[in-house]
Amino acid sequence: MTRRQFWTGIVALAVSTVLFIIPFVFIAIIAVKDKREASRMGFDWPDSWHFWSNLVEVVEARNYMLLLAYFNSTVITVGAVTVLVVLGAMVGYVLQRRDSKWNSLIWAGVMSGLMIPPAVVPTIWVLQELHLFKTIHGMILIHVAYGLSFAILLFRSFISTIPRDLDEAAIIDGAKPLQIFFRVVLPLLRPVTVTVIVVQSIAIFNDFTNALYYLPGRENVTVQLTLFNFQSQFTSQMNLLFMNILLITIPPLIVYMFFNRQIVAGMTAGAVKG
Amino acid sequence: MAQVVLKNVTKSFGAVEVIKGINLHINDGEFCVFVGPSGCGKSTLLRMISGLEDTTSGTIDIDGRDVTGEEPSKRGIAMVFQSYALYPHLSVRDNIGFGLSLAKLPKAQIKAKVEEAAEKLQLTHLLDRKPKALSGGQRQRVAIGRSIVRDPKVFLFDEPLSNLDAALRSQMRMELTDLHAELGATMIYVTHDQVEAMTMADKIVVLNAGRIEQVGSPMELYDHPASPFVAGFIGSPKMNLYDGEIARRMGCSTYGIRPEHIALGTEGPWGGTVKHIERLGADTIVHMDSPEVGQLVARIAGDRPVRIGDMFRAAPMTGKEHRF
Amino acid sequence: MTRKSPYPLWFVAPAAIIFSVLFLVPTLASFWFSLTRWDLFNAQFIGLENYEQFFKEPFLIKGLFNTVFFAAVTSALKTTLGLLLAVLLTSGIFAQGFLRVLVFFPVLVSTIGVGITFSKLMHPTKGAINVALAAIGIDGPGWLTDPALALFSVALVDVWKGIGLATLIYIAGLASISPEYYEAARIDGATRRQMFWRITVPLVRPATVTVITLSMIGGLRSFDIIWAMTKGGPGFSSDVLASVIYKQYQAGFYGLSTAGNVILFLLIAGIMLPLTARLNRKEVEQ
Repeated sequence: MTRRQFWTGIVALAVSTVLFIIPFVFIAIIAVKDKREASRMGFDWPDSWHFWSNLVEVVEARNYMLLLAYFNSTVITVGAVTVLVVLGAMVGYVLQRRDSKWNSLIWAGVMSGLMIPPAVVPTIWVLQELHLFKTIHGMILIHVAYGLSFAILLFRSFISTIPRDLDEAAIIDGAKPLQIFFRVVLPLLRPVTVTVIVVQSIAIFNDFTNALYYLPGRENVTVQLTLFNFQSQFTSQMNLLFMNILLITIPPLIVYMFFNRQIVAGMTAGAVKG
Repeated sequence: MAQVVLKNVTKSFGAVEVIKGINLHINDGEFCVFVGPSGCGKSTLLRMISGLEDTTSGTIDIDGRDVTGEEPSKRGIAMVFQSYALYPHLSVRDNIGFGLSLAKLPKAQIKAKVEEAAEKLQLTHLLDRKPKALSGGQRQRVAIGRSIVRDPKVFLFDEPLSNLDAALRSQMRMELTDLHAELGATMIYVTHDQVEAMTMADKIVVLNAGRIEQVGSPMELYDHPASPFVAGFIGSPKMNLYDGEIARRMGCSTYGIRPEHIALGTEGPWGGTVKHIERLGADTIVHMDSPEVGQLVARIAGDRPVRIGDMFRAAPMTGKEHRF
Repeated sequence: MTRKSPYPLWFVAPAAIIFSVLFLVPTLASFWFSLTRWDLFNAQFIGLENYEQFFKEPFLIKGLFNTVFFAAVTSALKTTLGLLLAVLLTSGIFAQGFLRVLVFFPVLVSTIGVGITFSKLMHPTKGAINVALAAIGIDGPGWLTDPALALFSVALVDVWKGIGLATLIYIAGLASISPEYYEAARIDGATRRQMFWRITVPLVRPATVTVITLSMIGGLRSFDIIWAMTKGGPGFSSDVLASVIYKQYQAGFYGLSTAGNVILFLLIAGIMLPLTARLNRKEVEQ
């Protein structure tokens, strides 16, 4: 490392600390202050620490709404991601392997899914007709519909690296289509599957807009909605609001620390195709 | 063990006909090699026999049964791929036993058959490894093991040695020949390498542009090529081939003489100046410019002194000339 | 004679059904419902009245203009800053790996959380930004309270949150440029600046296309960051199409809201189709 690289690094570190760390420090500081001190929005060190009491108060607020929200968000995320992986991989597989006249139609669907903004009110209408409006499984299906394009793109490009000889060897060994897919191809998709799981989990966990439209109502609240609900309730209790922010920021942070590599792979792979 | 009979077999991809009416009889227990330049249709023909590729028209019989519309797994064949196509996520044991487990054979029986095959191929100590941890030759053996346990009537090989280095390739040629002798099974082997064809085959099928040029034993093809194409394809270095005015003087439309059938000395109908020399040790290949025939290649004993610029007379050996 | 393909089309069916019912059908239906007065149960055809109303109301037109402004500003900043950051973070500087992690982290954090946090940091009197500016003698503006500035402030926060993705894509793009080009250029006597403009910028073009495409689509559709920070205010000064759609929906004007959706769709198509065609054409010419 040259002197120049070293000093540029120091400067970059200083600048990005201000830009990228201070906002998070701010969240943490406000979250541990008491109500009065927090409302001053100062950056000063807390006079007294209220981490635990703030935490308990946020969790207990509105009859344990945050716990319910965590439960709902987890169910939605796990459900949607599971379906996304299986269906996305199946479509990506057939799309890559088979030259069919349907391919251009499937591609058009994938591209429209990436570009077109969902038509919200008509979607609510469809959900209502199907009795899926304001239901968790309806929300899961919505996330599947909206996330499919990305998942298909990722799976398709990964499947193109799996030699077709393997499928043919399995055919000669007597495997049926489902057996080829589940016993030969799917196990080989592990790296890209992890990527899809991690990237989509974060996206769905952080989703606000779709839950706002399709999942109104107290009993179906998701994590991002609690934040929004609390914003009005906690106007005078910024410490609690920021404790809430802190609590919903932590899961993606943990996921990022463990799956840094897959996230980077997924974001760039999907993006370069997009 | 079985015969393979192709009758008027054709294959089209859209409007393009890549296999143009093949009739072929492969005998029980024969080692048959399909050879030809890339794009001649040899791999497609093999894949049609395997059932991985549909047959456009004509019929394919294996062991007296018409299998033209049959699933690959029901044809009684096994196939070794160029890339070996080992399942990367399975151990050697599971790779070899994969087909048996799909067929829902009892576990004990699978284990016995896998171990028997592994024994035969000296793979026993590698059974619990993943393909990643094997050398090229070992992977090759696993691929063969996977085909052996199926007890196929016919083995199909699609350029199985082309990913190996030269030394390993010649060793594997011998192993495959031994395996053929041991199993006595019908084997069909595709290659673009005429050396592999010559060294291993009972019967060579030379394909060119979707048609059979000639069928015969290695020495039949070497001694009596039916066409200039076969003459040029079989044998190394290539046969000297002349057409046009030179051939007409010889009384044919194409005249051919192999480099090893040319005597260089002070007598002969053709003159020549040495332009280029390839020394192989035992032999020396001499490239000459000749005023009578143009380019001329001759093979001479390795210990004979020869220099660029030397002038010789060249004489084709009688009885070794080919006229088409 | 043709046997069944080992890649059956019914593999596509479950995905196709979910996608069609929940995405394609509503999208197609939106064209019809945008021409109606609609309460989810009864739709009464009223022709282009919703669209007329849309283009008559000044705040709705403002929303249309703001959408384009927001997308343009965020894309421009993400593209330029993203490239510069990527060059910096691939130049072998001190703490490079840590910096990459740091810059990317906001991408993964809840947009609502970021929005609320920054709306506090941008508070005109108590916010940390203006407090810091005051300390060096500058009278900070009302970032979110000044109608002329609010949308731009939100755009800055959106850039803050999204710059990591742009940087990441550029880093991947830079990694695919063979170092031999730079070595050859150095032998030819090129300066750093010349190498950046003559080698990096043209060769990283595929990444640029991706960044522009992604940030334009994302920018035109933006909703949650704006909703979390200003709710379109003050007044309607920071309303974009997506927030207008939500407000009309909340107010029960479903037909009007859906017309907004159709306009957003047409806007994205109208901008993205020529843009991608242009970007891709240039790529072919190279």
